[in-house]
Formats: sequence, C-alpha cells, structure tokens
Amino acid sequence: MGEEGTKGTVHLLCLAASSGVPLFCRSSRGGAPARQQLPFSVIGSLNGVHMFGQNLEVQLRSARTEDTTVVWKSFHDSITLIVLSSEEGTSELRLERLLQMVFGAMVLLVGLEELTNIRNVERLKKELRASYRLIDSFLGDSELIGDLTQCVDCVVPPEGSLLQEALSGFAEAAGTAFGSLVVSGRVVAATESWWRLGTPEAVLLPWLVGSLPPQAARDYPVYLPHGSPTVPHRLLTLTLLPGLELCLLCGPRPPLSQLDPQLLDRWWQPVLDPLRACVPLGPRALPAGFPLHMDILGLLLLHLELKRCLFTVEPSADQEPSPEHRRRLLRAFYTLVTASHFPPEPGSPEEKVEDAAQRSQVPRACYLVSGPEEPGTGWRLVALQSGPRRLLLLSAQSPTHALRGLATHTLHALTPLL
Amino acid sequence: MMASPISCSSRHSPDELPGDPSSQEDEDCDYEDRVSYSGSYSSASSDYDEVEPEWLDSVQKNGELFYLELSEDEEESLLPETPTVNHVRFSENEIIIEEDDYKEGKKYEPKLKRFTKILKTKSLLPKRYNKKNRNDNELVSILKHQSNQKTGVVVQQRYKDVNVYVNPKKLTVTKAKEQLKLLEVLVGIIHQSKWSWKKSGKQGSGERLVVHGLLPGGSAMKSGQILIGDVLLAVNDVDVTSENIERVLSCIPGPMQVKLTFENTYAVKKETTQPRQKKAQSNTNDLVKLLWGEEVEGIQQNILNTPHIVMYLTLQLDSETSKEEQEILYHCPVSDASQKLKSVRGIFLTLCDMLENVTGTQVTSSSLLLNGKQIHVAYWKESDKLLLIGLPAEEVPLPQLRNMIGDVAQTLKFMYGSLDSLFFQRALQPAKLHSSASPSARQYDASSAVLLDGLPGVRWLTLPQEIKMELDTALSDLEAADFAELSEDYYDMRRLYTILGSSLFYKGYLICSHLPKDDLIDIAVYCRHYGLLPLAAKQRIGQLVIWREVFPRHHLQPSADSNTEVFREPEGRYFLLIVGLKYYMLCVLLEAGGCASKAVGNPGPDCIYVDQVKTTLHQLEGIDCHINERLTSSPSPCLSCADWFLTGSHEKLDNLTTSPILSRLPGTSKVATSPTCRRILFGDYSLKTRKPSPSRSSGGSDNGCEGGEGVGLSPHAIPNAVWKQRESQGSDGSEESGALLKVTKKKATLPNPFHLGNLKKDLSEKELEIYNTMKLTSGPENTLFHYVALETVQGIFITPTHEEVAQLSGSIHPQLIKNFHQCCLSIRAVFQQTLVEEKKKALNRGDHSGSTNSISSLNPVKEYGVLFECSPEKWTDQRKAPPVMAYWVVGRLFLHPKLQELYVCFHDSVTEIAIEMAFKLFFGLTL
Repeated sequence: MGEEGTKGTVHLLCLAASSGVPLFCRSSRGGAPARQQLPFSVIGSLNGVHMFGQNLEVQLRSARTEDTTVVWKSFHDSITLIVLSSEEGTSELRLERLLQMVFGAMVLLVGLEELTNIRNVERLKKELRASYRLIDSFLGDSELIGDLTQCVDCVVPPEGSLLQEALSGFAEAAGTAFGSLVVSGRVVAATESWWRLGTPEAVLLPWLVGSLPPQAARDYPVYLPHGSPTVPHRLLTLTLLPGLELCLLCGPRPPLSQLDPQLLDRWWQPVLDPLRACVPLGPRALPAGFPLHMDILGLLLLHLELKRCLFTVEPSADQEPSPEHRRRLLRAFYTLVTASHFPPEPGSPEEKVEDAAQRSQVPRACYLVSGPEEPGTGWRLVALQSGPRRLLLLSAQSPTHALRGLATHTLHALTPLL
Repeated sequence: MMASPISCSSRHSPDELPGDPSSQEDEDCDYEDRVSYSGSYSSASSDYDEVEPEWLDSVQKNGELFYLELSEDEEESLLPETPTVNHVRFSENEIIIEEDDYKEGKKYEPKLKRFTKILKTKSLLPKRYNKKNRNDNELVSILKHQSNQKTGVVVQQRYKDVNVYVNPKKLTVTKAKEQLKLLEVLVGIIHQSKWSWKKSGKQGSGERLVVHGLLPGGSAMKSGQILIGDVLLAVNDVDVTSENIERVLSCIPGPMQVKLTFENTYAVKKETTQPRQKKAQSNTNDLVKLLWGEEVEGIQQNILNTPHIVMYLTLQLDSETSKEEQEILYHCPVSDASQKLKSVRGIFLTLCDMLENVTGTQVTSSSLLLNGKQIHVAYWKESDKLLLIGLPAEEVPLPQLRNMIGDVAQTLKFMYGSLDSLFFQRALQPAKLHSSASPSARQYDASSAVLLDGLPGVRWLTLPQEIKMELDTALSDLEAADFAELSEDYYDMRRLYTILGSSLFYKGYLICSHLPKDDLIDIAVYCRHYGLLPLAAKQRIGQLVIWREVFPRHHLQPSADSNTEVFREPEGRYFLLIVGLKYYMLCVLLEAGGCASKAVGNPGPDCIYVDQVKTTLHQLEGIDCHINERLTSSPSPCLSCADWFLTGSHEKLDNLTTSPILSRLPGTSKVATSPTCRRILFGDYSLKTRKPSPSRSSGGSDNGCEGGEGVGLSPHAIPNAVWKQRESQGSDGSEESGALLKVTKKKATLPNPFHLGNLKKDLSEKELEIYNTMKLTSGPENTLFHYVALETVQGIFITPTHEEVAQLSGSIHPQLIKNFHQCCLSIRAVFQQTLVEEKKKALNRGDHSGSTNSISSLNPVKEYGVLFECSPEKWTDQRKAPPVMAYWVVGRLFLHPKLQELYVCFHDSVTEIAIEMAFKLFFGLTL
C-alpha cells in the first residue's frame, strides 16, 4: 500500500456482518469522491478483528494511528460499517456520526427489512447503489453541517411567516401534514409535523433533496429510519424556482399528478417575491442586511432542543480564509468542543460515556486561538452555550478578551431567529 | 581489585562486635576512626554468604539495589492496631527486650550490627543528630560491593519486609512439643523440615526457612504478603534459620509487631526460567504495599475488578512451536476482568500489524467496549515488540493514557536500555484508580495526577535566594567528587565514576537540579513510577538507597552530527544512585567510562559514593525548616478559594484570614455571581470599547446590576480610603516586584523574589507583602484559583504546593481543582497535537509540501480557554436558585522563545486584559 497516497483519504466500508461480504466501499480524497480502494485483504482483516472481538464479547469501537482513525460500528447485527479516515483533524465523534448518517441513508433508500434480513447479497448490492450519491455527499466536503451536528440545516427567510402560511395551506390542500421548502439542502420553512420528524430523517430528507440532480418534480419512495423504517413513504418534490424545492411527505395519496399547476399557483403566486428572496439565501443562511459584527467570518448556531442549526461562512467573504477553510475550521472546532467539553446534544446518549459525574462543573464558553505567534494573525474561535443554544464563531481580528463579548452579543441578536 | 578499591566487607572478626548495648553509644562516637578501615576490608564477603544480614543482601547479583526503610514513626503508623509496643532488639546471640521506653519516644531499633559501625562515616550518623533525636536513628545499610561477578543467568532477587502482629499470650496453653511449632502457631508459617533438626556447631548452618504453607487465619496469611515458597531470613533483623528460629521467637514477650524479612524465591524462580522477562511483579507488589501502606489492600481489590491490562507481546511468532500464548512475554494482572482483555490480544496484534501497513503510521490507541465499559488501549511498538496498556476510559482519559504509556516506555528504556528487557511496576495504576475517599491533600494529589503525571517535568518549588545558594553549593561540592582521603585520588587510582549531575528533592518537590532536562525527566519519571516522590512527601523515609544501571536517552542518543569536532558522549555506562533521608531525596547520575575507569560487569553501589551523598544530605538538614516554611507560607502568586466567590458560603468568614484582600471586601464577591446579573453582563458588553481595568470590570457589573436587583456591592461601594490605600500598595508592589524580577532574572532557575527578605518578618507585614506582590490578577479581588506552569527547557513545572491547596479547603474548591486538571489534560492534548504538527512542519520545511493540507485542522493552537460554571452540590434552600460561580480554565502554549505551557484557573470576573498580564507575569517569573 502506498503510504504517502493515503493522506487525506476517507474509506467507508459496508459489509454484511454475518458473511463478511463487502456490500460497498466508498472513498473520498481531499473532499472529493475517489476511486482508490482498499485491497480486499485489508477489508477482510478490518472486518475480521471486529468480528473476532464480538465473538468474545468485546466490542471494538475505534483505533487510532498517528494520522488515521478507524471506527467500527455494527447495526442490527446485520450490517457492519467501517470508516478509515486520514483526514487531518479527524475525530472519532465525527466518524461515529458519519456512520450513523450513512446507515440512516441506507435505510432511507433501501428499508430496514432489506438490511437486517439479507437474502440475496447481490440484489442488496444493486439496491444500495441508489444510496451512493447521498453517501458520497457525506464523505466529501459539504456546505452543510447537519451530518456532524445532527441538526437540520436551516436558513432564515426574510418574510418567514408568509412562507409558513403558504406552506401550511398548501400541505393541507395536498392532504398531508408534512411539507417543507428546501433551498440547496437547507430548510427555509416547514410544517409543524415536518419539524417533528425524528433525528436521522429530519437531516437526511433535505440532504437527499439537495444531493439529487435538479428535476421539475419527483416522486421518490423513502423509508424513514426513525419513524417508519420498514414501510415506505413517498417524497414528492416540486421545483418552485431554480434551487428552491417544495417537499411533501405522504402516503399512497395524493398522486403527483394531482398537484397541478393551478394548486401551485393558488398558493405560491402571492408569495413569489419572498420566495425569490430565498433562493440566494442558501449559503448565507441569514437574511441580507442582518447586523453581524464585521469581525465575524463564520458562525454556527445550534438549537439543541429544536435540532436546527444555522451555518454560514459568508460574512466578509472577501477576506481570508476561503469559505472552504472556514467551514473546516468551524467543523473542527465544533468537533473539539463537543467531544471534550460540552455535554452531548440530547438524543445522542451513546456518545460521551465519560465523566457524567463531572456535571456539577458545567462548561459555558470556550475559546481557541490558533495560528502563528505573531500578534494579529491566525484565527480565533469561540463557542458559547446558553440554554438550548450553542453558538460558534470564527473571527480573525478580535482580540482574545473581546471574543466572549462578541459571542454573547451575536447570540442575543440571533436568538429571535432560532 | 583495581575497580573496587574500597569495596566493603560484610563480616569482620568478632572482636569488633559491640558487646552490649551500652557500648554502642560509644561506638557511635568513634566510628569516625573506623572509617579508614573500610578500605582495607576488601571483600571477605564470599566466605560468609549464608549469614549475611539482610540489608547487605539487598544488593542484587546484577549490582542493583533497592533498599528502603521507613522511619519508625511511619512503621508504626502503618500498623496502628498495636496495643502495647515492645521493641525488641536482637543481636546475634542474645536478645534484649526493652520496655517502657516507648512513651518517652525513645526507641531502640535493631540498628546496630557490628559491621555497620565500621563502615559508618561520621556523616551517616553525626553525634549531634544521634543524641538529639534518638528517635530517628535508623538502620544504616551496608552496601556490599559485589566483587565476584557472576555470569550466566541474571537473577533478580528481592527481599521484602513483612510486619506481622504476634501475640504469644494466646499460646500459653499450647505447649511447644514439636520443633518449629512457634513459627507455625505464632506467625502462621508452616515449615517442614526435611531433615530432623539437629544442632550444628557452626553458626548459620541451619536449614533455610522456606515457607511451605500458611496457617489459615494466621498473621502471616492475614498480612497477605507472605507467599508460599518465600524464605524467611530474619526476624526483627536477626538472621534466622531453622536452627535458631524457635529461640528467637520464644523471646517475644508479649503482643507486638514483628518484622519478618523474606527472600522472594518466587521471583527468582520465575526469572530463571524466563530470563528474558526481567520483571518483578510480586516484588513490586510488596513494595507497593510498603509504599502505600495498608489502604492498598482495599484498593487493589477494587483494581482487580476493573478491567485493565498490561501486556508485552512479541510480533515475531514462531509458527513451528504452536505453544499456547507464546507471543505473550509479559502479562499483568491475572484477574477475571483482565482475562478477557488478554483473550482478545489477537485484535491488538492484528491492528498493530495491519494499520501500519495500510496507513504507514503506527497504531497509537484503540477503544473497546467490554461489559458496557469503554476501555482505551494504548500501544507502544518498539522493533518487533509491542507494549500494551489498557485502562477503563472513565478512570483514565485517553490523552492521559497516551502520556502514560510514553512515560512507561521511557522509564523502561531508562532502566533497561530498551524495551526488550521489560518489567512493569504497577505503581502507576493504583495511583490513578484511586478511590477519592481520602483527605484533601490526597484528593488534590489524585486529581492533579491526571495532568501532572503526564507533564514532561518535575514539580518545582521556588525557594528564597540564600537557600537556593546553599543548595547549589552543596550539590556542587558533591559533584566535584573531591572526597579527600576517601577519594580514589588518595589511593592513586583511576576514578570509578564521574558525577554527571545531581538533583535534590524535598518532600517530592524538586528544589535543586544540576542535571540536563532529559536526564532529570528520566529520573523523575523513574521515581514517580516507583512512588518515591509521594513517599518522600508523606512519609519520612528512614533510609533509601537505590542503585542501578540506567540508560539515559540524552547520553545514549547517537549524535546526529557526524562532525568529529563536535563533543561526543563517551561510550560509557551510566548509573543512578538515589539516596533518601527523611524528606530529602538526592538523585545522582554517575558515568563510568569516559574519564572515569570503565565499569566491569555489574558493579554494585560503591559505599563511598553513597556515603558522600548522605553527607550532603546531612549538611542540608539545617535548611529544611526554611524549606518547610516556604512550603507552608503563603504562596506566590497567591490563590483564592472558589467557595469565597459563592454567596451564602458560610466558610467564607473562616477563610478570610488567609485572604487579606477579601477580608476587606466582604461584599464584592457577590457581584458577578448572581445569575441575573451575569446574563445582562454578557449582553451589555460593549464590543468596541475596551476600557482599562479595573474600571471595566466595575462598569460591567454596574450594568449588570441595573437590570438585576442590585444583588451585591460593586467595587465602587468600597470605602474610598480602603480603595486608595490598596491602590498605592498595588503600585508599590509592582515597582518592587519589577525590581526584584530584574535581580533574579539572571538566575537560571526560579527563585521567588518575594521571599528574599521577608522570611522573618512578622505576620501582618508579611500579609501586606503578599498582597502587594503576589496577586497576578488585576482588579480589587484576587481571582486566581490555580495554576500550572510548565517550563520544558528546564523540565520543571510550578504549581501550588499541597499545603497551599489544603489551606483553601471548601466544598467547591476540590471539585474545581479536579475539573481544572481534567480540562487541562484535554487542552494539553490539543497542544500536543500542535507540537506534533510543528515538528512535522519543521521537517518538511525543505520540501514545503505540508503547507497546503493543513487547512483542515485547527493547528497550530496557541491558546485555549474554557469557561465553567459551578454551584454548590447540596443546595437546601428550595426557594432560591443556587448561587453560580463561573471560572475560566485557560491554557497557553508558548513556542518562542522557548517551549512553555501555562495553565491558569481564575474567576470569571477578572477582566480579560488581566489575563494577558497574568501570562506575562508568569512569563517573567519563569525566565
């Protein structure tokens, strides 16, 4: 195996737990899908150690080398997922959540029944091909962060209440309670019921919509990993404007044909202007003109109870570092503070086994200064926890002592939004 | 005999025997004259091998020595249940029982064997010392110079002392009909004589007393330290054989503690069968018990139930011999819980092999789930051997485990040159798996161990200048190795060893070191793993002598520079000599070869060197009151207790005496603690105006209180007079400290400028002084809770002493300290990652390829802070919300001008600009 060649690659292996047959392998390198694959013998022994341990009632969870992390996870005693990542700054938390998302994606598209009760491996392999696109989007660099935070990526539209009203009315007219407006994988507005969707699918559905090639309308069968893993539902999508899609989750009825142009026009024509304003919102997440301090280069706001998050690296886009770099910094910082300090989000009890007794000392804020020694260079990252909200900021210039003030101020300004 | 001109003999003609106890006093006075004998009594030892006293035997065949004797106070405290203590002193042929002396604190230990007298130098037992505190007279060990080298299998022996409680009164009914009955009934040891017992005219020709069995319920079994197969050598330091055991035991007059000395044959056997594994599991076990006292028993029981493991595996499997478990070179412990881990060693081996193939880097750790418990396993691979340590995640977080395995490997290499000859001490485990139900000092220890044990440094105690000078002088004198007529020069011989350097510990704090950093750390880690530092800190060592060959990395590293002009380390051998007396411990690194004569075989400790080290320690005895004063006196910089910052804390008033600042400001601490205030405080922070402190903090709190109910007094509410007074003091203080800093900056080490002249000042003056100079934070209150400053160039770190922490007892504070250390551990893990990256960058600088892919990580991190909130655990008042106190834990990494790490913990109310100040001040101090 090439030693130099593995730098920055992620390998994802999916095997049938009982037989050890590889179902698929996906790789990415430097954030883009790659063809490079692990040799079969390596796949075999990676699976072998895990199985060996399981037979002896020892569950192998992870292993680390100086630059690589490997995480094993088996689902329902039927599917084993292994991820081997040599990306810089990778962490177990990130990989474990990645595996959860990947399995969620498999269930979403194939159904739990197929996965737990494997009768025909070859057929399953073929069926799983449908999920490659979605899975690859987890492995590569994404503009979204829901895979890591397990919160739904949202944007804040300028006239949210209007859109909300139109959406509710339309969903009712279409005969379903589940409806949402999605712009490039981020939720603009959704009905009450849609927000109540369980953890994996709430993140996965918009993500899926964002990852599919653009089409005017789709009728897509999906299983809901949390809500209905064995009975498929229909995901109907209608492109209202380029990049802006209307999603409905429904049972056998109504057929797509019933959602005719008149119905659409009736509900959406009046709010066309607010809709138009949403389209460029995607990466910005916040409405134009929102007063953010000029020092802020990127922000991530999480609402841990609602399981929604705002993530943007758009502010002061003309400055260094590049948006991609900013995203990586924020992702890495999120992973760091979540893994080592902040209590895990509710709903992910399996993580963070350690120091539950420590809770009398509650972490509230956290900052990190990185970069070379010279003053005025490098990045400053600050995280602040307040109630259910957690805010992470990336800043370049702010002096250390102003970071907390900046974060507090920003959090206050953002509180009405999420 | 060139190499050992002054080897000491163990036996001498009987006419030198102190005839009776009364003459022993006199002996003490004139052994000075006898010192000169030592040279002439060269190796008569072989003639008397069988009957050597146990402490002579402590020198092992490979020259190593680990001889430890606790002081009497300590031995007693370890065995507190003794009802009435009679001290029995045995001599060779008679047994003298002394009673009643105990109450006056006069005790007779079996200290005087005839030949010890001869070898004692004046330094070992000065007259003054001898007369003043008879109490402290300890056994003086004789160090045998092993002149006859044995080749072949290296046998490592250990001797252990076991204290058992015996009560002969119970036995009055039983008549001793059989021989050796007393041993059985009294002590609970069963020895079956092979031959019928016969009296032999010659001394010491009796049969060795092998423990064949233990009587259920007997004291021997209760002690848990006596194993079948051990050989009983001595009772209260009287050599025993099957011949005289009954006589010796029958002299025990009443219920008492008896010290039994055993030779541990188990270890010997094991090691002869597997000479490759040089380890002393059972021995260290005993040692541990000795070091930790009886608590260990309970702890060890707990430990056995937690799954943990240490394994040393070979990766080169001989497929021909399909012997079971052949790849395991060493494995510890043997318990059910760890059995499971052992059984899955295939995982570790496979991972180690495969991941290295796939990724090109070595595996460092992995995590398992066993019985619902997460267990981290750390790997250390060296050539074709693999060292594994597995510990539960809840006890030992991963970063700590990784530091630990690095340390262990380092120590092992230090001790044996490479991991190939491995041994393992448990000493590191129980310290970590320690239950925290113990006094506060202990707790501080346990909680700080998480971080401090992983630091590449030694705990340093700053000392006043004069004391420092004195220590330096003493050590320099020793290092000069000018021993006058005792030196080899006197005999016109080539010097045996060159003293490379020495370092002095007091109560576990490094107070003076003349060693390069790497050596110092090697030695410190060695001491830590053997538990020597805590031993010196908490228990007065009666006497400790350690001698062993070591392999310091600093000296053995092949020189990277091929230039022949460059200084090269001589191809010598290195020996570590540690001598401990009471709270002092002096570690000396010796070099043989180079300019000293080459070492041949496995030389044992040379008594002249040992004695000279002891002399040095005795010289320093006068200083220890000053050091103690420093240890207990108010620290610099001064600390606050977290509990003072909680409103409604009742201990506040009691503690105020130690906090002169707070005593004048009873109300201020309230300001920043009320939750309502806090929130608004956050919100009202003006982002752009950064007012200088302290007006900033007061401004903030004023704002906060507008919205709140005005819970506390803002600093403005302090009477003006006090305020002004303080301000003027503050400025004085800073001037003064500035000046002092200048003075001390020239020194390489860390003197405490603030204690230069004020040791003898009266209390109030001192308090003022402390206030003036030691407060690192700005603003009206002292808000510093704790700190750790690591200086990697010197290999030392500074942190508050145990005494300082003990003074700040409270309900919150211990938790805070614990949390601080855990948080620092994770901060440090981030820093370590940065350092790794920096190193890589430095390596790649030539081909500048690494710069592009570094964008995905946060490195290099230079500062990292976490804000915590805490509230009292038991808050009984239902109506009010518990008060909340917020504090920062901040770590900072300085790469330039030299590598330093600083971790501080301070109250939230401190103005952030003051943090910078604190950093700078520390920086100045450490320079």
